[in-house]
Amino acid sequence: MTLPSLVLFLAFAISLASFVVLRLGLGRRVATPFAPPRASAAAGVRYAFTTAFLPWAKESARQHLTSYVAGIVFHGAVFAALGLLVLSLVHVAPPPGASTVLAVAFAAGLACGLGLLGKRARTAALRAVSTPEDVAANLFVNAVLAAGIAAVLRPALLPVFQLVGAALLLYAPLGKLRHMLFLLTSRRYWGTYFGRRGVRPSPRQAAGPRG
Amino acid sequence: MAEAAAVERALGVLTERLDERTAAFLNACVRCGLCADSCHVHLADGDPASTPVAKVERVAKHYRRYHTLLGRVVPGLVGAEDLTDAALQELVAAAFGRCTLCGRCALTCSVGLDPSAVIRFGRTMLLAAGLVPKGILANRDAALETGNNMRLSREDVVETIQWLEEDLRQTLGDPAVRLPVDEAGARVLYVLNPREIKFFPLSISAAGAIFHAAGESWTLTSTDFDITNYGFFAADAEAAGAISAKVIERAEALGVEELVVAECGHGYRTLRWEAPEWLGRAPKVRVVSFVEKMAEYLADGRIRLAPTRNPLPVTLHDPCNLVRNGGVIEEQRVVLRSAAAAFVEMTPNRAENYCCGGGGGLLAASEFAAQRVAAGRIKADQIRATGAKVVTSPCHNCIDQLMELNRHYKLGVEVKTLGEVVADALVPPPPVA
Repeated sequence: MTLPSLVLFLAFAISLASFVVLRLGLGRRVATPFAPPRASAAAGVRYAFTTAFLPWAKESARQHLTSYVAGIVFHGAVFAALGLLVLSLVHVAPPPGASTVLAVAFAAGLACGLGLLGKRARTAALRAVSTPEDVAANLFVNAVLAAGIAAVLRPALLPVFQLVGAALLLYAPLGKLRHMLFLLTSRRYWGTYFGRRGVRPSPRQAAGPRG
Repeated sequence: MAEAAAVERALGVLTERLDERTAAFLNACVRCGLCADSCHVHLADGDPASTPVAKVERVAKHYRRYHTLLGRVVPGLVGAEDLTDAALQELVAAAFGRCTLCGRCALTCSVGLDPSAVIRFGRTMLLAAGLVPKGILANRDAALETGNNMRLSREDVVETIQWLEEDLRQTLGDPAVRLPVDEAGARVLYVLNPREIKFFPLSISAAGAIFHAAGESWTLTSTDFDITNYGFFAADAEAAGAISAKVIERAEALGVEELVVAECGHGYRTLRWEAPEWLGRAPKVRVVSFVEKMAEYLADGRIRLAPTRNPLPVTLHDPCNLVRNGGVIEEQRVVLRSAAAAFVEMTPNRAENYCCGGGGGLLAASEFAAQRVAAGRIKADQIRATGAKVVTSPCHNCIDQLMELNRHYKLGVEVKTLGEVVADALVPPPPVA
């Protein structure tokens, strides 16, 4: 194992352990609900993790389709980069021809990430709630994507990609990137709430009048 | 000194009473801002401080300061701030003045969090600091002390119902019509918003006419009838639980099978969904909205309606607590299609409907009255776009706000409860010989 691979492996382990600690220390547990459900909590959770992601599922996505697409592309590229980092640890090379696809995907993700950062700078409502870390975290992720592009086009630069990726993994539990974990918890609660109450995925139909 | 103590108490809530769900929401928000256009307050005033994310940040920046490593070490980097008296005052403006806790933002959040849950937690911090608006606390205290938020005596209630019963018999020409009170053994207990007794008695008459037409075994109660819950608006779970417990225990004492909640969005939400969590048990009676009950009567053929008796176009305002947070979504539509000749939907509607602006207890917070009416412009625009002449809503708080919007924005509509629309269309049963 090369030194960058070892650093990356340790970063994965430390990051994972940090996320486990964060998750366990999140707060007091929410009790199992006593109110009888109107519909299915499980259906709500399934919806939250599947079709709720579709562009027509939420008004915000429908109204801000460009941002929605940019977000999907950006996050898709990030997941691809994380996947590539994992593959690099087990010495599995991407299949022939994948390098170009990955480079395009990372470049598209990079462009979308920068685009979202530009939107944050341009939009008054976003500037009002932005912190320096919003910029830093975005640039950090974009740096990983840029390193990913370099690594797939020039395999000799893979160690650089691994080290930048390791730094990101170590940073992730500390700042806003922790949403990668808490999004899961958040969506589960969201789906449970609206699912039990019969609001999502679809309202319970009422019987029509008789006679 | 007093301010420092208030900050300490609020901080105690933030550090000790945070649950897993709210903490997950606080950690998940990425400040993408896609929730901004979902909020009627922000749409009305255009102020960046009114976006849901900005309101969440009023709590989140203190969460980061006291609960995260970067917030403790480099607060400036992550926008973490100390909780101060000034910050609490800003939180009052955000959590009460700029938010009705309608939860519309939750349906649009790209991450999948509920900003209103975080803002409600902010209200809990304010409660500890003694900064909840006095009007909300006065209603909470009245309900705790007297059993209803308007401090109506048992005699007031009984006399009003007796008068309504006589009036209803004359109106329907049916001496068999009754508005029974405190009758043990009835199948259904119908519980009210005290404003109905004081200001809107016709909605009680309408319910009586509908129960009578359906041949229901029902009763009112002269005590512990108040379905409103200002403990809920104050984010005071202990008081809210005590207020709901009075109503549920009254139903259980009377031995009814069903507790039918009059047209009140938050009353339904608290009794149906929140009270079991506050009380730590499910009620021994089925809790159901009067809207659901009317739909059931129609489905069972127990009442018949003549929609031609409501010839004017009618539109429906969906109360946030009944619909988005309560799940009663289609029943009112089934009822209205049978009760009105022309039912026109607002756009958007159902769970995505905009708040009227009167939610979250703001009708009792006079210091925010101007903001409340200004935020109602979105609802006024929705109503105007339908071309309807009648606006109905199964919620008395919404009705109050809609009446004020009607005057302020010169909408020229009539505002009615759903029960009143149904009662107007009711084909009365043949009088008992």
